Amino acid sequence: MEEYNSGDEVIFNSDEANTIVKECIEGVIGGTDYDQSKVNQWTANIVEHSLTHLVKQGRPFKYIVNCAIMQKTGAGLHTANSCYWDTATDGSCTVRWENRTMYCVVSVFAVAVAL
Amino acid sequence: MDDYQTEEESVEAAIGGNAYQHSRVNQWSTSVVEQCLSQLSKLGKPFKYIVTCIIMQKNGAGLQTASTCFWDNSTDGSCAVRWENKSMYCIVSVFGLAI
Repeated sequence: MEEYNSGDEVIFNSDEANTIVKECIEGVIGGTDYDQSKVNQWTANIVEHSLTHLVKQGRPFKYIVNCAIMQKTGAGLHTANSCYWDTATDGSCTVRWENRTMYCVVSVFAVAVAL
Repeated sequence: MDDYQTEEESVEAAIGGNAYQHSRVNQWSTSVVEQCLSQLSKLGKPFKYIVTCIIMQKNGAGLQTASTCFWDNSTDGSCAVRWENKSMYCIVSVFGLAI
C-alpha cells in the first residue's frame, strides 16, 4: 500500500472532489448527445477516471463513486442518499451536470480508513 | 446477504402500491433510504453504511448507472435492488464498509 500522510486527522475535501469529478465528466461526455449504444461505456469511464484521480491524492480513504446518466425526455428522476458513518472524518459530494440531451449525476462517498 | 431482503422490504413499505407523483417522490426516496439505513444499523454489525436510492418515472427514457469502489475486497461489499411498479422504477444500492 502507498504511504498515507500521517499526523493530523484527515477530513474529506469535497470541493476538490467536486472539481475532479466535473473535469472527468466533461472529458468523457462533454459535447456529445445521448447515445444508447455508448452510455454503458460512458458511465464506466466516468467512474473509473474519477476514482483514479481521487486515489492519486494519496489520502487514507476508501471511496465509492456512483454515476447515473439519464436521457432527457421529460421523465422525473429523484435520487437520495443516507449514510451511517463517522461524521467527523467521512464525507460525500454530488455533482449534477447536463447538456441538451441528457443529465448526469455523480456521487462520491469517502470513508476514512483507521490506521 | 440479509441486506437484500431488508432493502426490498423497505422499498415495498415506503412506496409499494403508489403511482409516480412528482410532489411526493422527494419524500419517498428519503423515506426509503432512512428505513433501509435504520434496519441495517439495527443488525449491529461493525460496518459503516451508504444507502442510495433512485426513483424514475416510466416514460421511455433511458437510464444507466454505474459505481466503482476503492476498498478492502475481503471485508467490504455492496448490494443493489431493482424494484418497479406500473408507473416507476426504484433502484436502491447499499454499500457496507468494515470498520
